[in-house]
Amino acid sequence: MKLHRISAVTERVLRQIWHDKRVLVFMLMLPAIAMLLFGYSFSGDITDVRIAFIDEDNTDLTESILESLQQDQAFKVTVLETVDDPEQLLLSEHYQAVIRLPDKFTSLYYAHFAMGVATSAQGTVDLTLDESDPQVAATIRMGLADAMMDLGEGGPVDIQARELYGVEVRFIDSFAPAIMGFVVSLISIVLTLLSIVREKVDGTFSRIWVSPVRRAEFILGYVISFGLIALVQSLVVLTIGKTVFDIVINGSIFWAFGCTILFAVGSVGLGTLLSALAQTESQAIIFFPLVILPSVLLSGMMWPVQAIPRLLRPLTYIVPLTYSNRLLRAVMVKGLAPWQEPVGFIGVLVFVVLTIALASVVLRQSAGERE
Amino acid sequence: MSNATAIFQADGVVKKFGDLRAVHNVTMAIPRGEIYGLVGPSGAGKTTLIRMLSGLAAPTSGSVKLLGSLMPIDRRVVEHRFGYMPQERAVYRDLSIAENLLFFGQIYGMTRSRIAERTRELLSLMKLSDRCKQRADRLSGGEKQRLSLACALLHEPEALLLDEPTIGLDPALRREFWGHFHQLNSAGRTILLSTHYLNEAEWCDRVGLMQHGGLIAEGTPNELKAQAAKHSGQASLDMEEVFLILTQEPVAGGVS
Repeated sequence: MKLHRISAVTERVLRQIWHDKRVLVFMLMLPAIAMLLFGYSFSGDITDVRIAFIDEDNTDLTESILESLQQDQAFKVTVLETVDDPEQLLLSEHYQAVIRLPDKFTSLYYAHFAMGVATSAQGTVDLTLDESDPQVAATIRMGLADAMMDLGEGGPVDIQARELYGVEVRFIDSFAPAIMGFVVSLISIVLTLLSIVREKVDGTFSRIWVSPVRRAEFILGYVISFGLIALVQSLVVLTIGKTVFDIVINGSIFWAFGCTILFAVGSVGLGTLLSALAQTESQAIIFFPLVILPSVLLSGMMWPVQAIPRLLRPLTYIVPLTYSNRLLRAVMVKGLAPWQEPVGFIGVLVFVVLTIALASVVLRQSAGERE
Repeated sequence: MSNATAIFQADGVVKKFGDLRAVHNVTMAIPRGEIYGLVGPSGAGKTTLIRMLSGLAAPTSGSVKLLGSLMPIDRRVVEHRFGYMPQERAVYRDLSIAENLLFFGQIYGMTRSRIAERTRELLSLMKLSDRCKQRADRLSGGEKQRLSLACALLHEPEALLLDEPTIGLDPALRREFWGHFHQLNSAGRTILLSTHYLNEAEWCDRVGLMQHGGLIAEGTPNELKAQAAKHSGQASLDMEEVFLILTQEPVAGGVS
């Protein structure tokens, strides 16, 4: 194994990417666009849900419920004096909920506390809810419950929560690690695959295999190029995450980069592996959706693995991004060391060892059946 | 000619792809300093034979030696000493001429300054000096082929395996290429090349005629002409006629 041959391959791959400005832009823009697009559209914060609020009691208590609702960014509250038919109002004015606090709400509320649960009528909130979007409906239910909790000694149960791994982890915080893994592996797989298929088509492979270059040197050359690219892409994701979305990174940034690069290495191996199944560039393109779809749908990137139907769940364990997501989230969100998330860490290591070993076998075949 | 000094050597070489016999029982030995032309139609097995000589493919049976080393097993011993030009033009289309040469020089362990020196020499020889920064996919077919030849010559190999080096070139450029071959040859390089242009056979020291995977005739251009004249009773044949006469022979050369 000679360093100068490895660096020759690395330099060549980087030069090729540098020359193809479209690829270069794609490589740098993809992490930025993915982060912005997913960040904004999946920020998880539902806002501007239109609610009609009718207070027929007009007390300090009902006033404070209204204030809580108004302070909640999820809602745009319209205060109305009266309502005859809440259902009609919801339909005609396109509210997603109509909340009515009836006359005597306050007195019943306090009386209930004074007299005990079993004996008296409760204060009632009249809620008319558009259930057509379950997520919006759930937000309204939670917002209303929150407003009631804000009343103070209102709740019958006092929940004392201990929140682990960052009190204020938002969707975007745990999404950034997934985007990093996804973008880095996508670029590494696709560009390695295309590059190697091109070597076969153009015949440059023959030149390489009669030269002193060894298979391990060739693979290492590719691994180093895409490791460097992965580093740049992670920087783009983290910069946008930090500046635009103010994401919280609890862990070590070096572990984050290290784990991303490790995942890029496995992705180069996978790209090499897939190159064995394609003789032309157009055949190679067929593999792109095969790589992208399972990664997006089954890796726990968009929704937790627990939200995937039980029948499909075993499939999540063969998607490499599942392990990368676990590992990078543990490292970045929970602030753990890689080995403290053994499933993710070992999963990624197995992915790397397996694909690189198989890639080496695959290259032997395309180098001619000479051994 | 003794086998010990042969640069390229094949002994009873057979190559099968499934049921297809691509090369059948070829025996040949090319001594140092020769230009040897493998001549024959497409599909005659020329490329497969050259790939075996270069170590890219292993023979199904028989043995292949390059510079005395058994190929492909001992190819590591001789990999620095020969140059190979594949039939595809085999250059990186998204790299410039200079960058292509840089890469192929680096993998042979040449220093940057030595590569720069050789690049200047070769590009001026190939009349590509002013196109040094041009990307390979912007080059004409002939320019690309000259670059491809330059890539094979860069590390100054003593033996050259050139697979159809003049294919698709216009007659003037082909003559120019042959000028390079003779120049390299007089500088001591041994060259084995394939071609299906029969008039090029005239310019080789020795010629091997291939058909259906077998080497059906071998000799200097004049020897082959004499052989064909004897068979047909005609005199003053050109290479094309020689080829037609010798390939019609029912049993010839290595085919049994």
